Amino acid sequence: MQQPAARGRSTATPSLYPFQDRFAAGLNYTHRIIEDPEWTLATVPHLTELCLQNIVHNFKKNPILDRLLPEHQRKVLDRLPTGLPLAVTANLISDEDYWKRCCIERWQVCDISNYGDSWKRMFFERHLENLLKCFIPNTTDPNQVLELIPLCKDYVRKLEVDQFLPPVQEDQKEERDDLSVTGSDFGFGEVSMHHYDLGDLITALPHLEELHLTYGVKDCGMNFEWNLFNFTHQDCSNLAVAVKMCHNLKVFKLTRSKVDDDKTRLLVHNLLDHPCLVELNLSHNLIGDKGAKAVGKLINHSRLETLDLCNNQIHHLGAQALAQALAENSTLTSLNLRLNCVEDKGGEAIGRALLTNTTVKSIHLGSNNLSEPTAMLFSQVLAQNTTLTSINFSCNHLGLDGGKQLLDGLADNKALTEFDLRLAEVGQETEYLIHQIVRANQEAARLGSLQQPPAKTL
Amino acid sequence: MRRGAEAAGWRALAPALIDPGPGPGPGPGPEERIAARRLRIAARLDAKRREALGEGAEPKVAEEEEEQRRSHKEIEESRQKLAKLLFDGTQMVTNIQVAADLRETQRRAEEAERKLQRVEKLANEAKSSACKFEEITSKWALAKEMTIPQELWHLLNQQQQQCALLLEEKNKLIGDLQQELKNKDEEYVQAIKKQSDDIYLLLERMEEQIRIMLKTYRHKLLQIEKAFELERRELLDNNRKKWEEAIQAHNAQELAYLHARMRKVEEYEKQLNQLRVEDEEEYNSMKIQLENDVQNLERQLQQMKAVYQLNQEKLEYNLQVLKNQDKENTIIRSQQKRKLNRLHTLLNNLRIKLAKQEKQFREENQSLAADCERITGQCKEVQRRMRHFAVSDAEKFTEVWLMNEEEAKGLMRKALDADRIIHTQQLGLPWEEPHYWFLDNVGPLGRCKAKRMATTLAEEVLTESSSGGQEEEEREKKEEVGSGEGGKENTVKVEDRVTPLQNISKKTAKRILELVSDESGFLIESKLLRPLHALGRHERTLMKLDSIFAALEIDSEDDLYQLVDFFLKYKAQEAAVGQSQRSPGAEDVMDPAEDREDGGSGAQRDKLKSPRSSLGSFPSVYIHTDDVLTILKAFVQDFDKLREKDQSAKEVLQVRDSSKDGQYWEALARVIPEPTLKLWDALAVALEEYYEVLTRRASLLAEAAILQQQNSELCLLLEEYVSSGVSAASSSPAAWGHPATCARIRGHRHGGRCPEPTGVSPRVLLPAGERQAVDEPEPVLPRGSAVSAQGQDTAFLCPELKLGLEPGLPGRD
Repeated sequence: MQQPAARGRSTATPSLYPFQDRFAAGLNYTHRIIEDPEWTLATVPHLTELCLQNIVHNFKKNPILDRLLPEHQRKVLDRLPTGLPLAVTANLISDEDYWKRCCIERWQVCDISNYGDSWKRMFFERHLENLLKCFIPNTTDPNQVLELIPLCKDYVRKLEVDQFLPPVQEDQKEERDDLSVTGSDFGFGEVSMHHYDLGDLITALPHLEELHLTYGVKDCGMNFEWNLFNFTHQDCSNLAVAVKMCHNLKVFKLTRSKVDDDKTRLLVHNLLDHPCLVELNLSHNLIGDKGAKAVGKLINHSRLETLDLCNNQIHHLGAQALAQALAENSTLTSLNLRLNCVEDKGGEAIGRALLTNTTVKSIHLGSNNLSEPTAMLFSQVLAQNTTLTSINFSCNHLGLDGGKQLLDGLADNKALTEFDLRLAEVGQETEYLIHQIVRANQEAARLGSLQQPPAKTL
Repeated sequence: MRRGAEAAGWRALAPALIDPGPGPGPGPGPEERIAARRLRIAARLDAKRREALGEGAEPKVAEEEEEQRRSHKEIEESRQKLAKLLFDGTQMVTNIQVAADLRETQRRAEEAERKLQRVEKLANEAKSSACKFEEITSKWALAKEMTIPQELWHLLNQQQQQCALLLEEKNKLIGDLQQELKNKDEEYVQAIKKQSDDIYLLLERMEEQIRIMLKTYRHKLLQIEKAFELERRELLDNNRKKWEEAIQAHNAQELAYLHARMRKVEEYEKQLNQLRVEDEEEYNSMKIQLENDVQNLERQLQQMKAVYQLNQEKLEYNLQVLKNQDKENTIIRSQQKRKLNRLHTLLNNLRIKLAKQEKQFREENQSLAADCERITGQCKEVQRRMRHFAVSDAEKFTEVWLMNEEEAKGLMRKALDADRIIHTQQLGLPWEEPHYWFLDNVGPLGRCKAKRMATTLAEEVLTESSSGGQEEEEREKKEEVGSGEGGKENTVKVEDRVTPLQNISKKTAKRILELVSDESGFLIESKLLRPLHALGRHERTLMKLDSIFAALEIDSEDDLYQLVDFFLKYKAQEAAVGQSQRSPGAEDVMDPAEDREDGGSGAQRDKLKSPRSSLGSFPSVYIHTDDVLTILKAFVQDFDKLREKDQSAKEVLQVRDSSKDGQYWEALARVIPEPTLKLWDALAVALEEYYEVLTRRASLLAEAAILQQQNSELCLLLEEYVSSGVSAASSSPAAWGHPATCARIRGHRHGGRCPEPTGVSPRVLLPAGERQAVDEPEPVLPRGSAVSAQGQDTAFLCPELKLGLEPGLPGRD
């Protein structure tokens, strides 16, 4: 619903421009008559000026830019309307100012820093994202996307799609849905509920490095139905194959998409030995122990450095599998297991793995129902490990004794700079003391890398 | 104090954080309040902590970097404060997430519990309903058997009721579950509300955080800028002050310099003026002086001109004279030339004559040289002949000597025999054979010292030293014994066992020789070396030594001594300390033995003894094998010199030393010592007397015999007479015939005739003879004659010897 509005606006502006120009000229005209008595009508704009105006007018049909002098190019670019078809502008215009105008015209909020400080890239990425978000399988013409590929393939590096619309059902079915909610869940299983297959698109984008996907519907409001959020097996296999083909991919995020164990395994199977993948984010899914085992296997068969599995259903078995992988691994630096159900068995396994591991810098075990035994083991880890810089134990039941243990372990540690023990029942005093130690370590680390101390802390 | 406050703050914060957790129920009102309270607490805490940190940080900074600038301090301080603020802000913002997490975990836990309950409940229900259903179904079978409609109706009714009951139960359960679902829905709605509240709160906090941060940043920036400004101003002020001071100082200094310069200029001007005046005066005086000089010089010039005139005249005169002289000289020169020619011819003649004479002399010289050569050849011949003669002379000499010696020894032996006979037979004394060195001497003196060859000596050394110590000891013993036994034996021993290396112990000598043989193998010919290996060690050493000596030209005993001596000296020089100690005891021990020796032999022994006493001085000289070569080299150099000296010495030695010959012969002559001779003289006299007595007694005996004969004749006559008739006169002839009485009577008579004192001694000396003579007169005579004959012999001998050896013989004492 957004897009047509945006498009309407963008198409409306070019038509306004000439009028405004004329209006401004008219104002100048009257003004000059008053101001300058010597001014005569005989004074007309330069021919070049006129030509440029003409070029701008007919840019859509006859785009001339490269053959112009730089100053003229500048002028043309400044005057070009933003609503020109992308087929004309995409590969011709590389001027950032033009694309800046386009972006600002289209979206109010533009944070260029997320797009590598390139307005053009931002424009194309967001344009493509919008297109994918509004893509309704079986309804929207897939050529709409495919046509865009040759235009944007050189500029798209990151794809962040947080909505995939399911295919539209017939009205009668929707009506029936209102009658029985439970029936609809089964009823739609028969119909093809698959989302748009990214395979064609992704494999055609050679520079794609980041892929953030969420199979779900945004702003559904009272139209909520479970099947709107159904990440089917077919979707998964399509995605997996597509990702496998995407050799430059570095960051892959698949969140809030009901990814369960089987799908995880399917994905992992396709991601094994991926040449570039550095970050994997599967948070807010339904990954259980089997999925965790698969991910554990992936850790040692790829270059993964960051792994986010927060808010899944990993229990101690899965955690043990991850710990085993962690013990042998030497690439992973960050592991996030927030909001899982690892419990003490899993926590201890991870702790033991960290005794030998020397690469992991940050670990998040918040809200994992951990208690004192894990704290004891981690006190040992803190005493031995010198690479860990950040640990998060918030929302666990470490208890007062566990807190004391951690404090003891931390006594000689000089590496840890972040240690979150909020709501971990460790006692105020212990938390305060630990906080002091961590502050001291931070200070030491800051002094250690004294190149730009204010920049780091402020 | 502060710590306590902090802890309290933390404690206060904790409930605030935990608070929202358990209450999913409370509405937005409490939430807001909680949020507000949290904010307030956080702010208070923040302020406190900031204060505490500020307090804590400032002294630290002051301590650490006292001289650091205020701006830096300010920056550091604000940086810390801002970090604190940021940390607190993020803490505050993330607190919401943490709280939500906690809520979620708690919800999950509860949910899990409820799920369990629900499952259990469902299971129970299913079980019970299944039971009931079974009951109902069992009853259907019963119904088939029912025949009575009423009963059947009843049963059916019952069944219906039960079914209704079952359905009701199920419906109830469904209702419960639906109720639960509704509750869940409500919960969900609440949760959504809560979440939206949370998000709202989060936004609010973030905004506030941003606001606060902005404010503080601005504030801090301002402060830092102010600090910088202040600092800059101070710096500027300082610098300006410094600058002004420096400028002032500079000005003052410049002024001072200017003053000084002015003063100096004035001074110099004064000096200049003074100098100018002085110079002017000097100039004037010099001008006057120079003018005077000019005048003087002009005057002198005039004088010189006059002298010149005079001289010119004189020279002209001289010229004239010289011209005349020149003429004369030319004449003289021609004369001289002629003379010179003449002399030249003379000189040539003389030269020719000289050449002739030189030629003549050369020829003469050649003939003379030939003569000389011939003469030297002759001389050599003569010398050879002379040597030959010398040898033959020496042989002859030894022969003569031996002959004479034999003769003399025969005579001596005879004399000694006589002496022995005299002593034993005549005097009845024990006779002891005298021990003289010359008795055993055969041949001319000094010949016994014939040099042995070096190699034989070496061999001796090596063989002897193989049983060295023992033999030496043995010899010592023997010597001592020998000295006790008698001089003769002793001398023989000494002669025989002359130590080959006089002053060096055999061990040392042996070791040195072995060392030499081992180390100087290069001197041996390689041809020799190979067969050497087959030989025993001893023989090999000997062979080696032989060839080495040949190479070093060591052939005589002396050379070998020198070599060994040189080795020892070399070592002694190196290790001079401690070597000079001599054992004085050794000499003392030998002295008595020496004293007993006779003169000549003693002297000879002396030579041997004194070096032997120094045996101890080289107890065991250790010579390193490496030194052997250097020593040998030095020795060879020295040895050549020594040999040259030796050569001349040997020539001299060829002339025999005849000084001891006289002594020898003298000694031979005086084999019978003076007292014995005297004894003999006395004995001769006594014997003569004794002889006289004996002759007298013989005559008397003859007389007695005649008388006895007469007596017997007379007796016979008497008997005839008696027989004839006379018997009274028969007792008197018995008194006449007894010899003892007769002798005594005669002795008394003779005693009166010879009263000399010498007559007493023979009687004392020869009581037996007398007795014998008295008892058996017949055997006395031959013995007496023998004695006399001997006595005559000696009497004859002695003068002859005296005659032969009289000249140059000193008397013995």
